[in-house]
Amino acid sequence: MKKRYAYILGLLIVLTLGYNSVYFKKLSVVKAATKENFDFKAYADSIYYKGILKSKKITLGDLTSLMQSNPETTFEKYGNRLGIGNSAYFMIQSTGKIIDITDGLYTIADEKNGIVYIDTKYIFGNAIRDASGLVKLTDFKTNAQFNKVSESLNDIIRNDVIPKEISKVKLGDSISFSGAIKLSKKQNLREKITVIPSQIKLQ
Amino acid sequence: MNITLNHPLVKKSQSLIALFLLCLFISLLSDKFMTSTNLWNVLRQISVNVCISVGMTLVVLMAGIDLSVGSVLGLSAAVCAGVLKNGLVFESLDLFVGFTVLGAILTAMLIGMALGLFNGWVITKFAIPPFVATLAMLTIARGLTMLYTEGIPISNLGPKFEFIGSGWILGIPVPVWISLIMVLIVVFLTNKTTFGRYIYAIGGNEKAAFLSGISINKIKLAVYGIAGMMAAVGGILVTSRLNSAQPNAGMSYELDSIAAVVIGGTSLSGGVGTVTGTVIGAIIIGVLNNGLVLLDVSPFWQQVVKGIVILLAVIIDKMNQKNK
Repeated sequence: MKKRYAYILGLLIVLTLGYNSVYFKKLSVVKAATKENFDFKAYADSIYYKGILKSKKITLGDLTSLMQSNPETTFEKYGNRLGIGNSAYFMIQSTGKIIDITDGLYTIADEKNGIVYIDTKYIFGNAIRDASGLVKLTDFKTNAQFNKVSESLNDIIRNDVIPKEISKVKLGDSISFSGAIKLSKKQNLREKITVIPSQIKLQ
Repeated sequence: MNITLNHPLVKKSQSLIALFLLCLFISLLSDKFMTSTNLWNVLRQISVNVCISVGMTLVVLMAGIDLSVGSVLGLSAAVCAGVLKNGLVFESLDLFVGFTVLGAILTAMLIGMALGLFNGWVITKFAIPPFVATLAMLTIARGLTMLYTEGIPISNLGPKFEFIGSGWILGIPVPVWISLIMVLIVVFLTNKTTFGRYIYAIGGNEKAAFLSGISINKIKLAVYGIAGMMAAVGGILVTSRLNSAQPNAGMSYELDSIAAVVIGGTSLSGGVGTVTGTVIGAIIIGVLNNGLVLLDVSPFWQQVVKGIVILLAVIIDKMNQKNK
């Protein structure tokens, strides 16, 4: 009998704790509320056109030579990263000649840095957002919202920047470009670097 | 009364005497040490280690070791912050499950307990040495934390949650209250329950404990479960203090925890030790850390000094055992 009361009491405690621990909502309602509150496209437009395009970027040549001489300071000064680890994103600019175009991957012969790839097909991930250093995680309520900024920035690059700018360049052209790259502190700088472009211009 | 170094009272209070001497030494060299702000700060800082260490004490009393507490802390803290901030999403059911602060805390504690129970299960079921089993969990839990957080901190957890780590109740920091409650619970468990006596019995002589009818596997499971849950409580305190769950939270906390247990007089071979001793051990480490910072000692030397203190504690423990 005593055990029975103990079980009932235990069950009541579990139910009370459970009732005060979680709440349920329709996912569509939550999503709609999130969308109403924040215009990701407008935010990404402002970050791209007012921030990324106008920001001063380190040249790829300077970055690689600084990386060789003092990687720690270079990471601190020019790198942007959200979490921990040995990798960071950098917003760079450079110039070079297009020597190959294969399936959206532009191979650039950069005078100072040798071969550099510009990827115009697979614009995914957080490279542009994180390299810009302009978007803070703490400005967003959820990680999903924070990632949505990346999606919107990638949309701008994918749908506006690349079709507009890439139509003007062809094999053999000299171009100037800027974009995001990811480097690790122990990066082998002889390896080919792939740039996620934020701008490509015919020289 | 003639009191020598071998007097039982001196032996029993050696951690307390060491703490007193340490405080005296630091306060003579730094006038900032004995200020109320600094002392509350020290207590607030050590509350995380106290929570982990009281759980670790139970494990060490049983002649075990738990190297995974730091990683368990990290994973519990990350899940706590994750569910609090993002809830759970079930796309196919069009369902969003949100968590209150209480819900997030309970989830973290359940995660910690589950990981601890898993440690206990592996140790008892497969007769794997605790060192190896918990070392594996250290890596697994840290990897899971990185996967869950994607290496990015989960921040902005709200003022209610932040209060746990930064608030004050009756002029005492909330983390100190929480660690005090945890200590009292474990002191009660070890001193006033058969469960506590079984832990000492298993640590003293596992074979004898088995022959006297103690269900060793069940006790071990429970102890590792409690140690995991205590680590999770530590994780909640760290996360609320920073208002952010860091993917590398709790890294190498197991070492400070084991150090607190050993300095507090718990024997690594099991069966001997007290929770209050561990609390004093944790305070010694906290005071030592604080003192070395106040005295502007290089962080590299701080590690050396901490290592020497732990070594001394183990040597004293061995000498005491020999004398017995």
